Amino acid sequence: MTVKWRVVGAKTTGRTRRRAGFLAAGGALLLAATAACGGGTGGGSSQGGFHPVKQTGGSLTVWVDSTRLAAAKLYQKQNPSVKMDIVTYDGDANGSNYLRTKVSLFNRTRKGWPDVVFSSQNNEATWAVQDGFTAPLNKGLIPSSTLAGWAKGANDPCTVNGTLYCLRNDLSQTVLWYDAPLMKQWGYQVPKTWEEYQAIGRKVASEHPGYLVGSAGDPWTPEVYMWAGKCGANQITGPKAAKVDTAGPNCTRMASLLDGLIKNKTMSLSSVFSSDFDKNEADKVLMMPGPSWFGGSVFQGTFKTPAHRIAAAPMPQWSGDTAASTGNVGGGTWLLSAHSTNLKAAAAFLTWATTADDYQGKLAPGYPAYAPAAKTWLAQQASSGYYSGDITGTLQAAADQIWPGWGYGQFSQEAVWAATVTPKLTAGKTVTSLLPAWKDAIVNYARADGYQVTQ
Amino acid sequence: MSSQATHARRSQAPARRALGPARAGHGFVAAYTVLLIAFGIVPTGYAVYFAFTNAGGRFTGLSNFSTALDDFRFGPAVGHVAFYLLCWLVSLVVFVVGLALLLHRMAAGGVSRVLRFLYYVPGALAGAASVMVWLFVLDPTVSPAAFLLRGLGYHTFGQVIAPGHLPILFTLVAFWTGAGGWIVVMYGALNNISPDVLEAARIDGAGAWQTAWRIQIPLLRKWIVYMVILAFAGGTQLFVEPQLLSQASVGVAGRDYSLNQLAYDFAFQNNDVNTAAAISVELLLVGLVVAGVFVARSGFFDAD
Amino acid sequence: MQTDVLRSAAAAAPRLGLRPGAGGAARPRRTGRLRRNPLPALVLALFAVFFVLPVLWLLLAATKTDDQLVHANPLSFGSWHALRVNWDALTAYQGDAIFQWLGNSAVYASIALAITLCVAVPAGYALAMTEFRGRRTLLVATLVVMLMPNATLVVPLFLEINAVHLIGSMWSIILPYAFYPFGVYLTYIYFSTALPRELLDAARLDGCSEFGVFRRVALPLAAPVVALVGFFSFVANWTNYYLPYVMLPQSNQFPVQVGLGTLLDSVPQFNPTAGSLEVQRPELALATLLAITPVLIVFLFAQRFLVSGMLAGATKD
Repeated sequence: MTVKWRVVGAKTTGRTRRRAGFLAAGGALLLAATAACGGGTGGGSSQGGFHPVKQTGGSLTVWVDSTRLAAAKLYQKQNPSVKMDIVTYDGDANGSNYLRTKVSLFNRTRKGWPDVVFSSQNNEATWAVQDGFTAPLNKGLIPSSTLAGWAKGANDPCTVNGTLYCLRNDLSQTVLWYDAPLMKQWGYQVPKTWEEYQAIGRKVASEHPGYLVGSAGDPWTPEVYMWAGKCGANQITGPKAAKVDTAGPNCTRMASLLDGLIKNKTMSLSSVFSSDFDKNEADKVLMMPGPSWFGGSVFQGTFKTPAHRIAAAPMPQWSGDTAASTGNVGGGTWLLSAHSTNLKAAAAFLTWATTADDYQGKLAPGYPAYAPAAKTWLAQQASSGYYSGDITGTLQAAADQIWPGWGYGQFSQEAVWAATVTPKLTAGKTVTSLLPAWKDAIVNYARADGYQVTQ
Repeated sequence: MSSQATHARRSQAPARRALGPARAGHGFVAAYTVLLIAFGIVPTGYAVYFAFTNAGGRFTGLSNFSTALDDFRFGPAVGHVAFYLLCWLVSLVVFVVGLALLLHRMAAGGVSRVLRFLYYVPGALAGAASVMVWLFVLDPTVSPAAFLLRGLGYHTFGQVIAPGHLPILFTLVAFWTGAGGWIVVMYGALNNISPDVLEAARIDGAGAWQTAWRIQIPLLRKWIVYMVILAFAGGTQLFVEPQLLSQASVGVAGRDYSLNQLAYDFAFQNNDVNTAAAISVELLLVGLVVAGVFVARSGFFDAD
Repeated sequence: MQTDVLRSAAAAAPRLGLRPGAGGAARPRRTGRLRRNPLPALVLALFAVFFVLPVLWLLLAATKTDDQLVHANPLSFGSWHALRVNWDALTAYQGDAIFQWLGNSAVYASIALAITLCVAVPAGYALAMTEFRGRRTLLVATLVVMLMPNATLVVPLFLEINAVHLIGSMWSIILPYAFYPFGVYLTYIYFSTALPRELLDAARLDGCSEFGVFRRVALPLAAPVVALVGFFSFVANWTNYYLPYVMLPQSNQFPVQVGLGTLLDSVPQFNPTAGSLEVQRPELALATLLAITPVLIVFLFAQRFLVSGMLAGATKD
């Protein structure tokens, strides 16, 4: 039985480690109760003492979201001898908790677990370890030489007390996407600070009304703006401890920045994937802060923006801030079932899906978390000829600048924002006025998941 | 097979007690009784057992109930379901009765039949299908009623599904699938009112309004009550609509909206079946009281 | 324990030949007054639009491309070609998953229907026509369970089914579906009102056993109520979402209603992480059409011979 343990970013120092031990003891008690009501969940994979079930082989059941379907299909094509059962599901998007719900059902039926799962969420280890679903990966299943290839810190969300329980698919560092020819045509400089960004927003509102400098209609809005702006709304300080502060200066100034842009209509309140964005606003994007996968997925795929227009710049910073910071939107993780009867084949697929150049380097829409694949991916992007200028340097630099003060709790920040803030913004409230309600909602959801919350 | 048979039989009702050997009766109901116990009584008992114990099976009194009650989602969920029920029942009574009366008045044979059929067709789209359709009908960019939504000042799907609108929207969906069937039923009930009564009212100089208000609606009362009680039972079960809406709106609307969703979340996401059971028991209690009062008091259902 | 039993029951509005009271003879007369007043006609027409427009839109949506869906007139016809493309894309989804779901729905709904009929008809008959100990209790219990919001029992039912290790098996939903108190109640009402006791007595005098009476006399007369209960039960089973959503963990076991939810999750507009445009909105519309087709057929079919079954609920004055 092990404990949820996720300190985000906080480079695990001695202080937190000591706390981890303390909390582990407390958590064990807590989990004893959980296990009892889980009807015999867990049990199998206590950390360090992972006992695989009898390896009887059989077909490999793989759950992926529809974007990662390409990976599974390609693997099947390249390895026709492996019997695969590929199932698509929602990828747990927006904190839907589908995977967790199903695993809790499988734990009761004692069968049916998929062998390998992709989730678009980075926080799956927070429950999957305690529910006994994930197998430890750095205890012999995957060689440490392979694991060493991951970008620094990429697998932090997967690490519980030093044991690795999942593999990061891609980094979703945020950058500032912009329409290069349009910026040039209008004589705007790419903003380096949030203040400049705001000023351009004002100019666009008066000079080119209808054009956008960003969107705040998606559930990951807090991850793009608040995370990059170093707002301390989501500090995970221990396995079951969080600090939530939405009243800090970084939160309030980002909120008022957003409010100003929303008010002058240069910040859309529609999701970039929604029909109304597609219909009315897709060709009116001047700038758009967003994750690395926006380039392929949103601009090229959804908006069908023509080639040679879109470029990427570093996220704006607060003026006077020396340490560059950026946010992160998802990225996704691959989990391997502790109940797999086919661990070898499962591990082989897992390794391939996360590291293979054929998929991660050449097909994947997002910036691979596995560094060697990322090189291929960047080269691919550079040679694709879609972007205006070279975006690789920007993406590469941003990958190392993700602000570590924002954590991965069991509760979904995206879900909280979507349910609490988005509808009220749509109804005309300001972000600033919603900061307290946002905090309350985070606190409530954190407590519902058993977190000790300080404010 | 009509009233004559009913009355004939009714007159000999006392004699019936002597008939039908008991053993045969038991044989006929045996299978049903097994199902009733297995899927009606045992789950109820199970829910009660879980609601009053903790994960370890120890009796905990009302603590699960207070956990549920204290949860920040509970109060709003109760409010949502209550307000939705109010909207749904009121709209059902007003529009179903109104439309049935109108249809009955207008009844130019063929037209009335066609209209009743058109009203009742969406019933085939009950469940997830109705949500799928309304997801689009409520999105101003693709909706066939886009002009109406824009006219109301809603330009994006997000504006349409603002939290305050949800009870109305769920009512719309439920009404769309459910009302047609009831209109047909009410129409049938109206047909059962003797034409002589209506003719008499007409001769007395009663207008359409007066006839409807003084004669037809009072005679429909029984069926209205019947409709309300079945719709009440159906309405408290709100699950698929908010669940799918929540999926489709990427979590903006409909998450943890109804009590059933909350129970589901407790059971399968927080691994807390006891609190989930407590919520079920609370809902059951309400349902049971309403059903019990109705069965006992209204004299509506025939339980001899 | 069907989530939407009662709602679908209401929606269904069959018309069975057990018409209470004065029967269907009353054909109201049109009054001259109303003819001059266009308002009622307008209201009726508006409601007709309300009920029909979404259905019409759904039919047309399946014939469009995703682009046409957004940019073309909502009520325009796309093209047969687009319909064809949508069909191919939909059936290709997870290797014709849609047919598997439809097949699952058919299996679940029809097995449950068969059990319901075998169980409910004799039970309703016995409650109406025989006397035995516990009869009244059973009747009241039936009424109460029928009126209870039964979705609330889904979670406890899950715990119970789990305790007997049936989660994930198709029986975990077929058996709860098969328990259909509303069907028993309808049968009870039918036999009470429509079956003259003299017939049964005569049969008994002729030496029929109790079972013989049921089989030779009651059953042949029960066709309308069998149709009625079958109709309600089938529609309720087919449209149920919550119970299979909870009971069936594997996506290849889903009935089509839950399958629709899965499809919804693969539509990028509704789930942004589904980036590769796997399922497009017109395909979802087409899937919805496929999902309702069996119920729609039953509806059309039912309209022809069922007459006012819901009114049966209030036959006894």
